[in-house]
Formats: sequence, C-alpha cells, structure tokens
Amino acid sequence: MRSEPIDPEGISWIRISPKFITVQLIGWAIGAVIVVALASVPLVLLLVGVWPGFPAWLAWTLSVGTLLVNLWMGVLIPRQVRAIGYAERDEDLLIRRGIFFQRVMVVPYGRMQYVDVAVGPLERAFGLASVKLHTASPQTNAAIPGVPAAEAARLREQLSARGQARLAGL
Amino acid sequence: MTEPLGPGPEVPASSAPTRDVPLVPDHEDRWHRVHPISPLVRGWLALAAIAYFFGRDWFESIFSGEPVWLLAEGRGFVAGAILLGVLLLLVGGFLLSWWFTRYQVTREHVRVNSGIVFRQHRQARLDRVQAIDVIQPLLGRIFGLAELKFEVADAGESAVRLAYLPLASAQQLRATILARASGAETDPEHPDEIHEAPEHPVLAITAPRVVGAALLSGSTAALVIMVLVIGTGFAVGHALDWSSSSVILSALVPGLIAVLAGYWSVFTTAYNFRAAVSPDGIRLRYGLLETRAQTVPPGRVQAVAVTQPLLWRFKDWYRIKVNVAGYGVSAENAGARTTLLPVGSREDVMQMLALVLPDPGTEDPFGVFGAGLAGKDNDGGFVTSPRRARWLSFLTWRRNGFAVTRTALLARSGRLWRSLAVVPHERTQSMALHQGPLARRLRVADLQLHTTMGPVRPVVYQMDIATARRLFDEQAARAAAARRHSLPERWLEHQPEYPGQPDQQAVGLAGQEQDEQH
Repeated sequence: MRSEPIDPEGISWIRISPKFITVQLIGWAIGAVIVVALASVPLVLLLVGVWPGFPAWLAWTLSVGTLLVNLWMGVLIPRQVRAIGYAERDEDLLIRRGIFFQRVMVVPYGRMQYVDVAVGPLERAFGLASVKLHTASPQTNAAIPGVPAAEAARLREQLSARGQARLAGL
Repeated sequence: MTEPLGPGPEVPASSAPTRDVPLVPDHEDRWHRVHPISPLVRGWLALAAIAYFFGRDWFESIFSGEPVWLLAEGRGFVAGAILLGVLLLLVGGFLLSWWFTRYQVTREHVRVNSGIVFRQHRQARLDRVQAIDVIQPLLGRIFGLAELKFEVADAGESAVRLAYLPLASAQQLRATILARASGAETDPEHPDEIHEAPEHPVLAITAPRVVGAALLSGSTAALVIMVLVIGTGFAVGHALDWSSSSVILSALVPGLIAVLAGYWSVFTTAYNFRAAVSPDGIRLRYGLLETRAQTVPPGRVQAVAVTQPLLWRFKDWYRIKVNVAGYGVSAENAGARTTLLPVGSREDVMQMLALVLPDPGTEDPFGVFGAGLAGKDNDGGFVTSPRRARWLSFLTWRRNGFAVTRTALLARSGRLWRSLAVVPHERTQSMALHQGPLARRLRVADLQLHTTMGPVRPVVYQMDIATARRLFDEQAARAAAARRHSLPERWLEHQPEYPGQPDQQAVGLAGQEQDEQH
C-alpha cells in the first residue's frame, strides 16, 4: 500500500491479516441485513396495505437509502482493513488506520499500563485476535484488530517486555 | 503532638482526638476509627428527610386545626413505633458502619477496612498518591470535622475516604502521608515528629473579582439573551394583542433559576480561593459553605489548560484547569476540583503556571506563555497553521499553533474563546495525528496529545503536514527523553534535608518571591 502524507517517513507498516476482511464482511453482512430489514418495515407495511397512510416517497427513500449506505460501507471494508497497520520502533509502537479520516498514533512502550488480547467467535474461526494497548489516558484508543493468533501472542509478550524495561510511572 | 499513642487498637477517636492520629507508622494490628459523630454528619440528610416528613404533617395540622392523620385516635402508638423503628434502623446502620470502618497508615501503605456484611479491605501505596483533599462540609465545619480524600491514579473514585476526622487530625494525617510519600528523611532525633511542610502563599482571589467573574460568565450572556427574547415576545404579543404574557413570564422562571445556579456555582467554587506552594506540592483552598483544601504533590499535574471565556476578555482574565490522574471526571463538585485558578489576571496565570511547571524550559517565559495566552501569528516562537488552512478555520488559523520549550509543549487555539494547553514532555501518554478528507486536500493535519482523564484535551490544530509530521516524530523523541529524567515518584527522596526551605525556583517564573508566612 502506498504511503499516505500523514505517515511518518521511513516506516514500513506491518499489515494485519487479509482474513480480517472476511471477518469484517461477515459482521457487516449480518448488521446490514438487520438494519435494512428494519428500515424497510414502513415500505413493506405500505406495500402490503397495512399502513396506506405512510408517504410512499419517504418509505422508499428510507429503504433504498439505508441499503445504499450499507452497501457503500461494505465496499469500503476491504480498503479500511488494508489501511490498518502497525510498526514497532525502539521506543514506541505506531498504529495507523483509516482512509477518509486517517489517524497515526504513537504509544510509547514506557507508557503502557497493560495489553489486552481479545478473541471473538468469528475471529477465532479464522485464527485471528485483537491486541489492545492501554495507557493512563482514556483517549489512547490503540487497538490492532485482525492479527494472526501467533503474532498476537508474540506482540503481547514483546510489548509487555519492552514496557517493563522502559516503565515510567504516570 | 509527639506523645506516644496509647496502646490497643480500640481507642475511640473522640477520647483523644489530637492524639489518635497515626503519627508513627502503625503496626499491622493497630487500627483507628473515624470520629464517632461522623454518621450524623454523613446521614443528616436522611434525618432531615424524616423530620420533614413527620414535621410537615404536624405543622399543617397546627394551621388547619385538623388532627394529624398519624396522631389521630388509635394511630398514635403505631406512628410512634414506625418513627422509632425507622430511626433505630438508620442510627443502628450508621453506628454499625462506623464501628466496622477502621483505618491505619503504615510506613508504606494506607489501609481501610469497611463494610458490615460485605467486608472490604483496601490498601493503597503512599507513594502512589496523586492528590489529597481535606474537605469540610457545612455541617462538618460546625462540628470542626473534616473529610480526608486520598487519590491514586484511578480516574474517578477516591482510593481512600476518611470521613470524618477532627480538622487538626485530618491536617496532621495529610502532612504525615505526604511526608512519607515524598520519601523525605525524618529528623533522626525525633523520628516521630512530622512537620507540616512550610507554605508560601502565592495568590488569593478577592471577593470583588469573584463577583466580577460571575457577572461576566456565560450566565449573564444567557440572561441578556433571555431578556431580549422575552422582551421581543412581549412586544410582539402586545402588538398582536395576544394574552400570552403570563405564559412568557412562566417560561422565564426556569431560565432565571438556571442563571442563578450558574452564578452560585461560580461564586461558591471561587470564593475565598487561595493558592500556596510547599515542598509537598500545590495547595488550593476555597469554598463558601463547603471548604476544600487540595494538595497536589509535585509532578502530579498531567496537563494544564488556560482558557478565557469571551466576556472575560474585557478584564484580561483567565481560568486554569488541570488534569490530575486522581481527580478523573467525577461529577462531584462540577469540575471545581480540577480548577487550578477559577479566575485570574495574566500575572496570576503566570504565577500558577510557574508552580505547575517550575522550569519553563525557555529564557523568555513571559514572551512565550504570554503569546500562548493572547498572541497570534508567530510571536513568542509559535508555529501557526498555514494560510491555506483559513478555509477550514477562518477565524482561528492565525492563532491555532504550537510552541515547544525544553520542558513542555504549548498548544494554542481559539480566537474568541482563547485557549492554551500545556503538556510537560514527560507527561505525554501517547499521541495521534489525525487527517480528514478536507484537511488532506489542504495538506494540514491535527496532532492530538493524550493525557489522563480530565478537562484538558490538548490538540494542535491544522498544522502544515510536513510540520505536523516533524512535530509528531520530535515530540515522541522528546517525551521519551524527558521520561528518563523525570522527577522520581517520591519527590523529596534525593534531597538531603527536611523540612527544607521551599523551592524558591518554584516562584521564579513569576519573578516574585513571597514572604514566608505561617
């Protein structure tokens, strides 16, 4: 993937597993079906004739609009997943994400309070895990999703070891 | 206060209130209790509610002449029994909870055991202290009692609350905890003797300024807008011959209450505000009905924000808020705890900043920080947004910017509501560069600095992308370097003598030395 203007120079991002695209797509499909079904309730009621008073244009807009937005979100998922990356430096960990709204975060090892490795049912099926770093700041939203399980375990150990070596109170 | 404590853990605090303070480190089996009338001070609201409930009936009956329902024929006994039962339950509960709450302060820890059915044993390391508050609610002041709060980095809930102790004991306990937490060496000849670290008063806010601050607050703006809207309503209503005047007037009442509440909160939190500095850190005292004395040890302030509400511009007044790990964002007291200076002139701001940042890391602190408060463009060494960023922030592009000193990063923003955030390098937690689609087109990016929970959210807005990236990299390196040299958690550990002279350097930035007052 090409380097974005926001990326620091000389960083080669480690990309997360492409399998995470599938995980995200499955999650998205389930969510999209539910949301579109809910948004289509007025339309269905209108067509069946239960609720004839409902304005037709509104019912159609609601239904089709939700469908389009959800499809668009689905189309974005592969690119979004490919935009997630991380890089280990000597003193800190870099995490990037986003295509439209990009973010590059730096988390110093000495600032980490603890590291979470979480695995959901879908992720487990694909052999993936999420690594999350916590500092004393609630704004540090440093999650790396879709990491292969072995790599997640390595990251956890590596980060904990480095954090201990560079620990600095608050 | 150097007499040895009586033996046995069960000495009630009331029998020797000034002596029953853990001056010497407690042994494992030595416990103290809070003052016996604490339940009353805590539970007065419940008692008042009962009194109101029964009192109202009785009171009404006096005027109406009808007999009280509860005291009517045959019901008197039942009513009395219910009243007595409720009272007994309440008092019993309070007494039991008082009896089962015990605390001790050892050389390393403070421990509190509480709970009747579900026991809780809590232990906190003294050197992890982030702040200590001594609070006196109105009723506490009448009885001469105070609550002591010991905060650790746990965003929100207090680690240890001792409510209530006699005021002198609370203050002594605070001095003891701070002395042990600081790692200060005690006098070898009197190891039990702990002096409260000497204080230097730094500033006090006068009552006229508090009133002025309240009058120039947003409440006044709201009031003016309300009056204008209602005035227009009246005029229109009169012209059209509506009979809606009473409706409009009744709409005024909740608004007025809100405005008065706004004034009141400014007034109570800023009233009698005094700041002082001691080797134990910054001391803040304030309050009208409920008084508070906050102590923030050195190196515990994570970030500072100096803001100026629009109307304060006429007087060149500012407000300072801080992030302290222990304070979190508890709803209690509506942010008064995180206020380092409720209202102050530019000079006051400089003095308070000097306390938080003893070494400003620049040769011209007034120039740099002054430019941060009220300057624009590049004065004071600030780097601002490029001209093209005016499409995103028409008003503020000349003010959005940052400056870096050896010790801190200054993030400036806001044209009408001026704001300056200061983050010491060694307190930076993590950082993030943000860029949205518009910002990408204009080749600018925001740099967000993450600090502990609190009112300060430092962001450097809309920097040129190359500048932002350089700042991001350099700031990460600076933070890492500063962490290696940061103050030890026990802030007096390496100093040879205690109690020593207060750090004169601490008031150096303001270029003003205060006479020592005790």
